[in-house]
Parts: sequence; C-alpha cells; structure tokens
Amino acid sequence: MMLKSKESFFIDLSDAVVDMDEERTVTAANAALEAGVDAYDAIQQGLSDGMARAGQLFEEEEYFIPELLMCSDAMYAGLDVLKPHLKQVGESRGTIVIGVIEGDTHDIGKNMVRIMFETGGFKVIDLGRDVPPQRFVDTARESKADIIALSTLMTTTMDGMGTVVKLLSEGNIRDGIKVMVGGGPISPGFAKRIGADGYAVNAAEAVKVALELVGNA
Amino acid sequence: MSLALMTPLQRLAAYAKGEPIDRLPCVPIIGNTAARVIGAKVSQFRGNGKLIAEAQIASYQKFGYDVIRVFTDLYTLAEAMGARVHYPEDETAYLAAPAITSIEDISKLQPVEPSRDGNLPSHLEAMQRTVEALGHEVPVTGAVSCPFTTASFLIGAENLVRLTIKNPEAVHRLCEVALQSAIRYSAAIIAAGCTPSLTDPMSSSNVIGPRQFKEFSYPYLQRLIEFIHGQGRSVTLHICGKTEKVWQLMADAGADCISIDNDASLAGAVHAVGDRVRIMGNVHPSEIMLQGAPEDVRRAVRDCVAQAGGSPKGFIVASGCSLPTETPFANIRAMVDAVAEIGWPVDADILSRSDS
Repeated sequence: MMLKSKESFFIDLSDAVVDMDEERTVTAANAALEAGVDAYDAIQQGLSDGMARAGQLFEEEEYFIPELLMCSDAMYAGLDVLKPHLKQVGESRGTIVIGVIEGDTHDIGKNMVRIMFETGGFKVIDLGRDVPPQRFVDTARESKADIIALSTLMTTTMDGMGTVVKLLSEGNIRDGIKVMVGGGPISPGFAKRIGADGYAVNAAEAVKVALELVGNA
Repeated sequence: MSLALMTPLQRLAAYAKGEPIDRLPCVPIIGNTAARVIGAKVSQFRGNGKLIAEAQIASYQKFGYDVIRVFTDLYTLAEAMGARVHYPEDETAYLAAPAITSIEDISKLQPVEPSRDGNLPSHLEAMQRTVEALGHEVPVTGAVSCPFTTASFLIGAENLVRLTIKNPEAVHRLCEVALQSAIRYSAAIIAAGCTPSLTDPMSSSNVIGPRQFKEFSYPYLQRLIEFIHGQGRSVTLHICGKTEKVWQLMADAGADCISIDNDASLAGAVHAVGDRVRIMGNVHPSEIMLQGAPEDVRRAVRDCVAQAGGSPKGFIVASGCSLPTETPFANIRAMVDAVAEIGWPVDADILSRSDS
C-alpha cells in the first residue's frame, strides 16, 4: 500500500466538507489521525479550507444557505473528532462577540457569520438573538473582545446597532473595540452613519473584514 | 373622464387597458406606519380589526396611493397554525417560537380556520371595514404569506433549510399544509371583497438557491396563484432580497405582477420578464424611505421610473419592501408627489434632472 501524503488527507477533509458529507468528513478525520497527521493542521488545512471554499461558492451563488449549513454540519462533525487530539492550541486571531439585535429573532445569517469567524481562527462568543445593546457591551468588556459583530434582518431593529456604538463611547471603551455590522437592511452608508468600523455584505466577506479590523488581513 | 380626478381603481383599470392615465400607479407599502397616522401604538392592532381599518383608511386618505394592503407582520398565518409570536408594545411583532420543533409533529399541524384562528378574524374584519369604506375607489388587499415562508415559521428557518437537503419529503409535507392554510385564508379574503397579496421572503435567493426554489417554492406558489386566479383575482407576488435568478419562475408560477426589493435591479427585471408580468419596486425602504430626505426619495423615484417606466406589461412605483414603522410622512408624500410630477406619458426631461 502506498503511503498517502499529508496533503491528500487535507484534500479529503476539505472535499468532504464542500460536499456536505458528515460521514465522509468523520472518516477522513479518523484516517488522518491514524496516519499521524497533526490535528491542528488537519483542522486548518483540511476543515477550514473546506469551509473557505464553501464560502467562496456561496459568494459565487453556487451555494446558498442550505448548502452552507450542511457544509458547516460536516465541518463541526470533523472538528469533534480532531479537537481532542489537539496538541497545541493555535493562536487565536482575536475574540469576537456576536449576536442579533434586540427585537429580531432571525439568526440564520448571524449563525453563518459565526461559523465563518470560527473557521477563520477567531474565538467567538455568541449571544444568540434578540440581544439588548447593553449585553453586547458588557460581554465585550468582560471578555476583552476585539470586535463586536451585530446583525439584523429587520429595518425596525437597525437603530439598536447605533445604540451599541453609543454605549461603548459612553463607557469609554470605544477605542479598544471595533464594531462591525451586517444584515439585510444594512448598507455601508448606514454603518458609517452610526459610527461602525466595518460592514460586510455576507458571511464570507465578514471574515475578511474582521481580519482587517484586527490588523491581520 | 378628467385625468386629474382619477381614483386608483380608474387609474389601474385604464393603465391595464393601455388608455391614458394621469400618472403611474404608486404604492409605498404601508404596514405599521399606519399606526403612526392615527397616533396608535403598534400593539393596539393586535386583535383589533376596527383599529387596523381606521389606520389604513386614514393613511390612504392622507397620502393618496394606489393600493391599500392590510398587513401588520409576516406571522399571521403561522400564528394561526400554532407558532408563537411576540408583540412588543410599539414595534412590529416577531416570531418567538415556531409551531413545532421536530418533523414527527408535522402531522399535528392543521390548515387554518380563518373565521376562528389567531388574528385572522381581526385581519379579515379590517379588510372588510376598509373595503366598505373605500372599495369603490381603491383596491384593498390582504397580505398572505406563501407556503415556503409559512413552513419556515412552522418548524424554524434553520431547521427548514437543512431539511431541504436532508429530508425533502418533510419540507413538502410542511409546504402542503401551509398551502392549504394560504388557500383557505385567500378564499376568506376574497369573500371579504379584497384581493390576496402574496409575500414570500424565505424564497429569496439570499436564503435558498434557484434549485430549491424550483423544488419547494414554485409548485406551491403555482397552486396558490391558480386558486386565486380561479376566483377572478390577479396576483402580486413579493419576494425580498435577491430574486434575479427566480424572476422567470415567479412569472411561470402565474404572478401577474412581481414586486422586487432594492437588492434586485429594476432594469434587469424589465429586461428579463417585463414582457410577461407587471413590475413593481423598488425604492430602498430603510436607506431612502426611512433615513433619506424628501429630495433623496424624489431622486430614487425618478431613477426607478427611468429604469422601468416603459416596461411592456406596466410598472408600479413602490418601496422595495414594507416600509419601516417610523418612515417619515414627508418621505411617503414625496414619493407620491414625485410620481405625479413625472406624470404620464413619462416626462423624460424630469427624469434626467439630477437635482431635486
């Protein structure tokens, strides 16, 4: 039997994620471990690579929310296998507090963004949906977060985003924390007007914006 | 008939026949903004058909647009089937919990009884009262959420989109029961003298792709529209967000008019399906209507008319989606005024003006 190269294990993992195949992802993760592939490398160059490709297909409108969710299910299944074998924890690129603004319970978009942040190497604290502005601020302060990421799908709740920025300023912690916003009714103009630092049109772009905001692009 | 005295019904009828009109039809899509017109709190609309009617009538009389649409939130139908809806004191209601959480419970879902369930009776009362007061001059419609969208409120959006890949049969069962509800509610709306106005935000390409649209949205839209056509009513179908890849399917499903959001291009829609359906849209509800100044609204209206004013099957100047509750009155007025100023046939000189 020919020995498989490390790279071919990465490709198997990445492909299984892109193909939305949970079972194959788990098999590929186990195969990689058995062959002595480092768990951290398998996550970064296999699973995360798969999610990055899925994100690219989403941007190109080949994949939509259902496909992206299925890819992330496969990715998390692989992660469950690999995580216990992590020798060293890779350096986090920063901490992000994310949530959907109070008054809005639409969280698919936010969940997509969270997944892309996690696979992009960020530590993510997910406050869920229908979150009061003050909770974003308190959590960011306590966790020494680098970024607060706010989402809403509704025009009725957009103003809560401005409130978060205001509360940060009032608490004198605006300087240390970047705010990024997104969601259906949000435009770059709106982001600028409320004093946010970044705007992303979708989940794939959100990671790039976050990396720029922490100076790590 | 004097053009200056055209009522919306006369205007729409003449426009459909290709006869002269005074101006293009104009529909700022008013939902809970109507509460502001009569100084009411949004939550007062709950279970109060009389108040909804009063607000919708006052709003129409204040602004003089061309279609009245009874609408408070997207969840009316799903709520009547068991979904839990939260009603903040003075903001639009939102979904608190879906009707079911597991596919095992799909068989427990029942189609609505419009005269009994949830807030349907009060919405029907609102339509009836509005049509009694104004039905002789303006079309009165009632919002009906389409099967795929209702299905998402019944089992949860994330659940539903996963099921489109994992268990398509379960999605079809959900859409089927949602369709039966939509048909029953549409029948009741028509019996009240109004026209169902279809809305299907979850079928947006921001959520599902054209493949899933074709499999899970299209067949049920088609059957719902067929039912409404059978009752002698024409159909406007609104889908939020990106829709370019499903315009043909929206037309294939039988819609007479498609209402598109600001994420979609009016000029593109005219080019793609303007010879098949009337186009309606798409002034930005938040950036322009909520946050802009009247000059921004006028400019946006001119831009819309420049793109779609000559569409073969007609064009209605509208907001891209329901207006946010706090949309300034001045902006709604500016929208209707700008359409009147452009007039008909469309004055190209006015369109090319870059100032306001």
